[in-house]
Amino acid sequence: MTKFPSLPRRAQPQADHVGSGSAYDLSKRRSNLTLLTPYGGKVFSNYVETIYNMHGYIEHCREEYILISPGNVVTNFDYNALFDYHSKHNSDITLVYKKGVIPSGYDRPVTLDIDADGKVTQVFIKPENTEEEDNHFYGSALVKKSLLMEEIRKALSLNELDIKKLLQQILDRYKVFAYENKGYTAIISSINSYFDFNMDLMKKEVRDELFNPKRPIYTKVRDDAPSRYGLESKVKNSIIAQGCVIDGEVENCVISKGVYVGKGAKLSNCIVMQDTVIGKNTNLNYVIIDKDVTIKDGRSLMGFGSYPIYIAKKSEV
Amino acid sequence: MQMFPKQEVVAMLLAGGQGSRLGVLTKKLAKPAVPFGGKYRIIDFPLSNCVNSGIEAVGILTQYQPLILNEYIGNGQPWDLDGMHSGVNCLSPYQAIKGADWYTGTANAIYQNINYIERYDPNYVVILSGDHIYKMDYNKMLEYHKEKNAACTIAVIDVPLEEASRFGILNTYENGEIYEFDEKPEHPKSTNASMGIYIFSWKELRKYLTDDAALENSSHDFGKDVLPAMLNAGERMFAYPFEGYWKDVGTIDSLWEANMDLLDPNVTLDLKNVYSRNPMMPPHYVSPDANIQNSLVADGCNVEGDLEFSILFSGVTVGKGATVNSSIIMPGAVIEEGATVKFAIVAENTVIKKGAKVGQKPEEVDDRKNWGIAVIGENTVIPENAFIKAKEMIDSEVAASEK
Repeated sequence: MTKFPSLPRRAQPQADHVGSGSAYDLSKRRSNLTLLTPYGGKVFSNYVETIYNMHGYIEHCREEYILISPGNVVTNFDYNALFDYHSKHNSDITLVYKKGVIPSGYDRPVTLDIDADGKVTQVFIKPENTEEEDNHFYGSALVKKSLLMEEIRKALSLNELDIKKLLQQILDRYKVFAYENKGYTAIISSINSYFDFNMDLMKKEVRDELFNPKRPIYTKVRDDAPSRYGLESKVKNSIIAQGCVIDGEVENCVISKGVYVGKGAKLSNCIVMQDTVIGKNTNLNYVIIDKDVTIKDGRSLMGFGSYPIYIAKKSEV
Repeated sequence: MQMFPKQEVVAMLLAGGQGSRLGVLTKKLAKPAVPFGGKYRIIDFPLSNCVNSGIEAVGILTQYQPLILNEYIGNGQPWDLDGMHSGVNCLSPYQAIKGADWYTGTANAIYQNINYIERYDPNYVVILSGDHIYKMDYNKMLEYHKEKNAACTIAVIDVPLEEASRFGILNTYENGEIYEFDEKPEHPKSTNASMGIYIFSWKELRKYLTDDAALENSSHDFGKDVLPAMLNAGERMFAYPFEGYWKDVGTIDSLWEANMDLLDPNVTLDLKNVYSRNPMMPPHYVSPDANIQNSLVADGCNVEGDLEFSILFSGVTVGKGATVNSSIIMPGAVIEEGATVKFAIVAENTVIKKGAKVGQKPEEVDDRKNWGIAVIGENTVIPENAFIKAKEMIDSEVAASEK
């Protein structure tokens, strides 16, 4: 286990989850995973400074290209195809975008104008969300390492700390192409979109695409037993992980590993995270329940489709 | 030269037998690698017991169909048996200057691997087999062994008197010292059945193994040769009484029963701290049409039919209107729409086509003597609307020839 002595508290669950990277086959001699954290008492406040602060790591890597990818996007994406597109167009920077309505809760979303060849002609920073379809650049980009670091250094010396504005400024100087992610893409930007995208998993076509066995999604697996359904269980249209004991009724729910659902409990439209205990004869609807929560016997909690209730980690209801 | 740190105990796991009584399930698979309990293989139980008892060096003796077993054990990481100078090793028969030998018996398998054992310079050796489901702290047994100053300690379990003649029975004095072995006795004198778990003081075992190897007419078997030789020589041999769940899963019926025991709330076996190699699969999905009662379901399953008293391993599909009752469905199997599977074991990646019927309830068979669990071997396709009777055993070749 690698240690991260100066890790800010909020990053600890992440460090714990990715560990050495072996769950993702990323702890090899020639390919590995490194958690980069702020150091020297600083915090990450903007991308320009953040990338610059990592220049030691970035410049030390043997790889020629950098792929920037946001952490809030759930998609099964083939980066090889992106790389081929990048090479074929002799592109300097390739931006990955999603066509559609930008999900709610996005701060200053970036949209693109693209010509017939796929070249980006204009970069917009939208002041607000609209209901219109657009080419949404959600933060995934492929670029040569040397180019990125050169521009980051320049931007820092001019005190330009906004990477979105920086992108607008350099558009004329480089060949910037756009690559459409045509696959299922869940961009999670609010508790509502988090809820809705979880519920998307009930659709077969979404599951087939996200959990494509040819390109599996890896995760840290625990030694959980298979999930156990009791004699009086009644489960409909739900996603259930291992290590659960289900004695109650569950409908339209996403249930993480190690969750216990007591007898007579009724759960509908809920997301329940790992190791939470749902007591007997409870009644829950539209609730997002974080890890290690205890819902005592007989309790009722009701949210609404447009306003799910959130129960924080380790709480007791 | 590499130095191996001394280990007080080395465990040797006998995993080379064919397990012919499991029929088509072990056609291409060593018995210890047979899937069990929705995500495990039988060998996970003794291996996890070793780790949970603090044993760090485990030799697995493989011979029959070792490919899947070797691959499954790998570097031992899932069981924490991937230490720098200890851990798990698969030990297969090998060629030496004086020639090449298969393992000719359980004792011979250990004899041929004396080198493996001695590099750890152990005081004790635990001999385990790969066909039992149980959770046991071998440390407690070792404490007992030391306390009795024994040369050999054999774990025993109290079985009902009427079943005792199916087991190897150990007759002991009141202090636990063994005075007689009674293999499958017609008129058992006691109900102490041997569990096939032995602890030996290594010095003594080494001597008896070497002596036994020199005997031409010996079958080189622990139960038949080495243990009787030790008893005859007057060695201190003790029976260690074990309390808890233990089941030999060497037959189709007992394998099925042990799986069903996991669904019985009155059975004391739990699956906590049993480790296994995990397939990477998404959580399972239960459709609006599904009905699941008293069952175990692993990752990657897709359940759209009815499930009752059954165990689904990872990646199993149960189609719309299909019924699975009192059955064990191994990884990757597909039960298509409208198919019925009852009182059956369906092995890996087998497909039960639409409308096919596999297995029968005991009350559906005229003569109960003809009833039994139906078994479908791995990678088999049972054609649409086919009917597989109770107790039948089908593998891919049989299924192909009947088409």
